[in-house]
Amino acid sequence: MVEYKPQYYPGSSKVAKNRRKYMDPSYKLKKLRTISDDDLVKLMGHRVPGEAYKSVHPPLEEMGEPACPIRELVEPTPGAKAGDRIRYIQFTDSVYFTPLTPYMRAWMGHTRYRGVDIGVLSGRVPLEARERDLEKVAKDLVETEIFDPARCGIRGATVHGHSLRLDENGMMFDALRRFVFDNKTGEVVYVKDQIGVPLDKPISVGKPIKEEELREMTSEYRVDGIPFREDKEMVEFVQRLHMLRTEAGFDPSKVKGI
Amino acid sequence: MAKYPDKVDLYDDRGRVFASKVPVEALSPLRNPAMQKIISYVKECVSVNLEGIEKALATGEVGGKWCIIRGRSLKLDLVKNAESIADSLKNCLQVTKDDDTEVKVLKGGKHLLVKVPAKRLNAGVEYTTGFTATAAALCCTIVENFNVNLWDADLIHAAVWGRYPQTMEPLGGNVSSLLSVPQQNEGMGYALRNVPCAHIALITKKNAMNAAALSSILEQAAMFEMGDAIGNFERLHLLGLAYQGLNANNLVYDIVKENSKTGTLGDVAVSTVKRAIADGVIKPLEKKPSGYTAYTTNDLNMWNAYAAAGLLAGTMITCGSARSMQHCPSVFIYFNDLIERETGLPGVDFGRVAGTGVEMAFFSHSIYGGGNPAVFHGNHIVTRHSKGFTIPCVAAAVALDAGTVIYTPEKISGVVGETLSEVPELREPLRYVNEAAVSIHGGI
Repeated sequence: MVEYKPQYYPGSSKVAKNRRKYMDPSYKLKKLRTISDDDLVKLMGHRVPGEAYKSVHPPLEEMGEPACPIRELVEPTPGAKAGDRIRYIQFTDSVYFTPLTPYMRAWMGHTRYRGVDIGVLSGRVPLEARERDLEKVAKDLVETEIFDPARCGIRGATVHGHSLRLDENGMMFDALRRFVFDNKTGEVVYVKDQIGVPLDKPISVGKPIKEEELREMTSEYRVDGIPFREDKEMVEFVQRLHMLRTEAGFDPSKVKGI
Repeated sequence: MAKYPDKVDLYDDRGRVFASKVPVEALSPLRNPAMQKIISYVKECVSVNLEGIEKALATGEVGGKWCIIRGRSLKLDLVKNAESIADSLKNCLQVTKDDDTEVKVLKGGKHLLVKVPAKRLNAGVEYTTGFTATAAALCCTIVENFNVNLWDADLIHAAVWGRYPQTMEPLGGNVSSLLSVPQQNEGMGYALRNVPCAHIALITKKNAMNAAALSSILEQAAMFEMGDAIGNFERLHLLGLAYQGLNANNLVYDIVKENSKTGTLGDVAVSTVKRAIADGVIKPLEKKPSGYTAYTTNDLNMWNAYAAAGLLAGTMITCGSARSMQHCPSVFIYFNDLIERETGLPGVDFGRVAGTGVEMAFFSHSIYGGGNPAVFHGNHIVTRHSKGFTIPCVAAAVALDAGTVIYTPEKISGVVGETLSEVPELREPLRYVNEAAVSIHGGI
């Protein structure tokens, strides 16, 4: 097999570089905060900390599997092996220089994690997986540099807010007021879980990342930051794909060497 | 003389080589006898739920759920007498003695698998003959064998045909075919695409390679029938069928194997690109200032076949590792996004699979109704846009599911999938298509 180094993403701008970095699984995401396993479970609200995982089917070993060469080859994830339910964590990312754009969550999720189901909608990005697999992935998504406490929201429902102006503390609007800014500590605190059920004890997710740092880290093209149109290489890529798709639709055998 | 120069090595579902340098046209629905047999069986094979008829007659619940005609019932021991019903039904369906009519009793008489003689289909223009002949012959058989009188014969009709012809399809009937009624086809040539993936997964006994193969054969045969796989586009579909559906050159199996333990969807995209470079399908076009290299190809049809094989492998890795079918639309969008960004070349079916994935993700995640992937097919309003490259992956995903959905493939498919899995060519299409390709390749 040829030596090949994956390139992940085209583009010459800083934004493109950031996209490449986050999508490259060999780049270790910087850990910025620690959220305990129990707190994470509480934030997602699928089970009570310490409670056993509920299952949707018996463990694979017990139930036996049909004779299929692909099942024999493909190692199931720990959650699939145990028969866990499929659960989700969902994020809303503000349009104001958050580390990840919605699509980046999907691209990055699929290059870094196995057996995940990610969907991108206009204002929210759910990631679904078997429950114990989800908890591992969620840890990365909340503890590392790709999460800004003020501009990324863990929101299972009523996700509105990604395109609204930030408030006086730099927080993204949340109709359910799941997270609040603690003026004393300067930290963002979750007082409700992702679907808005009040928590017994508030959970701090740390201080918001500074604006100037976010502008460096972001994977968002913005007219008041790095505009998409200024990344010539990126624009060329998009135009090239559009051209190739169209030409191929007319006659794929005529598309040669371009 | 072959129309196209392409030759492929044939492999079985476990990655063992079966034959080398077989012209890709030997895998065309226009040439391959096993594929033609599969297509014939889809038209000719019909399943009968004798147990269902017996229950419907006993309760008067005919023509759909909760549609009970009070005071009307018949106690007939159909299941107990399945053998004699099968004999009479066979006699009734036969055009000549010893023709190709078959009636097989399954599950202790609960179900029948009926194969209507080809002569009956040849004497008409519609594929519905399989269904109509069986349903009508069954009514005659039950009336005769059980001495049903003039006043009860209508109940037999309703138990067998369901509410048809008041409804367009035989609602609540107990005879079923893989194919839906023609009025439910989205357009010309869609008949073979109107087979839900639940049926495909059950017919192939949840062997993901065979599920993908059967689905790909039906989808790509439909492309010929729809007018897509002809002229400039024939080779696109032939290569797609060979590489994605039939594991040509062991591409699908190899990529799955390479990523089987820890691979992600992104890794599968990279493996696909690596293989395409190694096989000379794509090559660097130019290096950009950022260091990004755009790739080009002199054979976009072949690139599409490689990408389609990678898409199936990606589905097998993602849905296979989670043992869950619901992940497949996410694979359709993001495998294509990733491979397009990796190479600068268009994704599978030049963008159509990614678009199909977007819609399917909406309609398979209970946001706007819809259903789980097992109900989807190539005729579905949401998944018909890709020309045969999406549905084989859905079928594989359904086959790999360990039981994560409320409406299981078994519930959705009912009797059809289970009974048709008795037909070897439908159950193990890879094997029969490979054998048939070898038998004819000298002639191509």
